Amino acid sequence: MSDHPADSSSREAMQIKVVGIGGAGSNVLDRLVLEDAVEVDLVACNTDVQSLASSVATQKVQLGRGVTRGLGTGGDPDLGFNAAEESAQDIASALQGAPLVFVVAGLGGGTGSGATPLVVKMARDRGALVLALVTLPFSFEGRRRHQQAMESLDAIRHFADAVICFENDRMSDVALPSAGVHEAFAKADHLMGQCIRAVIDLVQRRGLIRLGFDDLLSALRGHEAQCLFGYGEAQGVDRAASALDQALRSPLMDQGIPLNEVANVLVNIAGGTDLTLAEVQTLMRALSQRTGEQTQLLFGAAVDPKLNGRVGVTIISSLSARPAEPAPLPAPPAPLPAITALPRTVAVPPSSGYTPRGFAPAAPPAPAPPTPLPVAAPVSVAPSTKPRSITDRILESSGGGASAAVVAPAHRGSLAPAPAPEPEPPAPVENVYRGRFEKGEPTIVNGEDLDVPAIFRRRVK
Amino acid sequence: MAKSNVVVGLDIGTTKVCVAVAEVEADEEPRLLCIGQAETHGVRKGEITDFEAARESVRSAISDAESKSDLEIRSAFVSLTGGHLSSLNNRGVVELPDGREEITDADLEEARSRGRQVSIPATNTFLHTLVRQYRVDGRDGVVDPVGIIGTRLEADFHIMHGVVTRVQNTVKLVKDVPLAIDEVVVASLASALGALDESQRDRGVLLLDIGGGTTDYIIYRDGAVAQSGCLGVGGDHVTNDISMGLRIPIARAERLKVDEGSAVLGTCLPDERIHLRAEPGFGAREIEREMLHQIIHFRLREMFELLKERFDAERHLPYLGAGIVLTGGASQTSGIQHLAEDVFGLPVTPANPPSVSGLSGAVTNPQLATVLGLIEYARVTSGARPTGGLLFKMKSAFGRLFGRR
Repeated sequence: MSDHPADSSSREAMQIKVVGIGGAGSNVLDRLVLEDAVEVDLVACNTDVQSLASSVATQKVQLGRGVTRGLGTGGDPDLGFNAAEESAQDIASALQGAPLVFVVAGLGGGTGSGATPLVVKMARDRGALVLALVTLPFSFEGRRRHQQAMESLDAIRHFADAVICFENDRMSDVALPSAGVHEAFAKADHLMGQCIRAVIDLVQRRGLIRLGFDDLLSALRGHEAQCLFGYGEAQGVDRAASALDQALRSPLMDQGIPLNEVANVLVNIAGGTDLTLAEVQTLMRALSQRTGEQTQLLFGAAVDPKLNGRVGVTIISSLSARPAEPAPLPAPPAPLPAITALPRTVAVPPSSGYTPRGFAPAAPPAPAPPTPLPVAAPVSVAPSTKPRSITDRILESSGGGASAAVVAPAHRGSLAPAPAPEPEPPAPVENVYRGRFEKGEPTIVNGEDLDVPAIFRRRVK
Repeated sequence: MAKSNVVVGLDIGTTKVCVAVAEVEADEEPRLLCIGQAETHGVRKGEITDFEAARESVRSAISDAESKSDLEIRSAFVSLTGGHLSSLNNRGVVELPDGREEITDADLEEARSRGRQVSIPATNTFLHTLVRQYRVDGRDGVVDPVGIIGTRLEADFHIMHGVVTRVQNTVKLVKDVPLAIDEVVVASLASALGALDESQRDRGVLLLDIGGGTTDYIIYRDGAVAQSGCLGVGGDHVTNDISMGLRIPIARAERLKVDEGSAVLGTCLPDERIHLRAEPGFGAREIEREMLHQIIHFRLREMFELLKERFDAERHLPYLGAGIVLTGGASQTSGIQHLAEDVFGLPVTPANPPSVSGLSGAVTNPQLATVLGLIEYARVTSGARPTGGLLFKMKSAFGRLFGRR
């Protein structure tokens, strides 16, 4: 099970399709291509022929040739739905053959709100895993659009495996108050593009410690969840800490304060070949201080030569409107082919003689000695850090008797957060620079590190 | 100790170790003999980070006090602070057996032990169990229930607790000096004794002891402790913020804070600048005064807001007739009263100097509130400690303040 991060030639290219629906959807696709080429198929679906013509997507589907005759829907979701229904054949053939489909749309308008649920459902019916990334309209767009968006969102939630929902209002923080509406939209698109790229990287990039789509699903689990997404990238001295800092400052992150309430946090660290495990470790420590005791950190690290010298940190989680439910989602009916079975490799770079504490036992996990652990096994392995203990639990559930019985009934049980509440070991070091309090235990209240000057924290808002 | 009625208070603060030596008689005000001080090293946010350095700091403060008072110090009352301290209120209930109606000492003891049957984290230990009030048959405000006729005795307690290992660190440090420990007293309680008078406690008051590394708080209502605790933020944080915000050395930031700092905004001219003179290793610079004030303002405002959150959770603030009293070194920051008034919406006053004779010039310094409170603690408990019928009245009078441990 242990493949090496260097042999990227044998990359198992998972085919991913990103489907942009409506004007907002295709804008995001354009931005995705513009900013950084990604190795995915882009499909643009729109009713408006003009907008479709200017799209850079590789595949284009015109919706509702007969219904709208190449014009837009005029903000009517019913028309959008009819258009999609009419072009169901075209959509189906465009979706053909991809095991993983991302559907991107801006809700509120006609095409986005009307066609998206249908496209999601069609993709789902073809056995694909569907991740929907949608935006809710700004509040200045009016109540009607908001209502249309919410109705559509409900339907999408029903069909998609996971939904990342961006509330545009929360993104307005990134654009200066003086900036125009245009810029506010552009920022929203940009952030969404960043999120898609991060998710694609997550699934495609060969990882030192691999995260799969299943992890993403559990990070986003929960109905009516508010999505927390943060991305940061930095280089130079202390790059790990500043990348994390940036990620926490992302507008959808609320300064990282909600992190101590969520059940699952997905963290992916990407870096060039010079990414060190020490960096990964310090970064994870810093993050684990911000999360609650019951929070499960789904952790991945990936190497991408493109990132040389830089470190990127992606944080994805969801904050339930209700208190976080520890029980896993009742099994979504879709089969989970191949993807859940992705190898979860934990490879230590051969050159480094240094093995940080948490990674020490991460030798090839293959023939795990069936250690005679008592029933309480999941708890008793808790002291090692997260990636290890997840691997542990997989091994146990596949080979163990008693402990497997504890975790097996859950869907994708080995990854379910419920069985082993791991108390976070109090990490002695925080990574943000804190002046004279650099050494010593940080004072963290409500998820905020009080040792960092108040003026730095308050002014950002 | 040379004389049996000489007591020593030892307050190991984040910036200073203070030692107070005083003669106490139960019924008289303490006579302060001397104050010994030394700069602290190895303590951050009220907790020991460098054992050796901290011990040396305590030693030099003790020897300072010894040389000033010409006494040999063998034991001390020691204050305890740190963000790990917390508190809760609980009630102990005793039903009197049939046929007996007069409440006795034993019932009181029983109520007390039941009051302590609360779950605190396994890592924590009880530090003080203070009686807030007694109720007999549902009647509030009984000061001393012994001898009263009733069938049901309830006792409300305020319980302070802290993490065992952190408490042990302080104890070990003092024992290593070496000094014997008369008693360990939570700093907020000591400060309250040093900085509040009885009328304030009766009317209801919040005391904020804003020290170097921590802010200890305690709320009194109707003369009894209602809430107490500690936030690990203090004057050191302000200094650190200034140092980081203006990019100047810590020592320079500390002086700038003391000389020019203010917690309120908009008190200076636009573009008013402060000239920092050149020093070895530091070139001359000018900084904006408003920037300095902003840094201090944001820090202290945040601190007050965090505290207010804690107080709001227990709803005592609207009932504090005597408002808020500030003490501790950082309470000398200019404008801090206005800021506190703004955040809490209550009148804010600086602490009254405690009533001591002797070296009374020292007592106006708010940095000494805790250590003087330790002396006061020693005085009131000295009356209460010997168990005898004669002193019983004394005990009940102060029982409301402390409750014996």
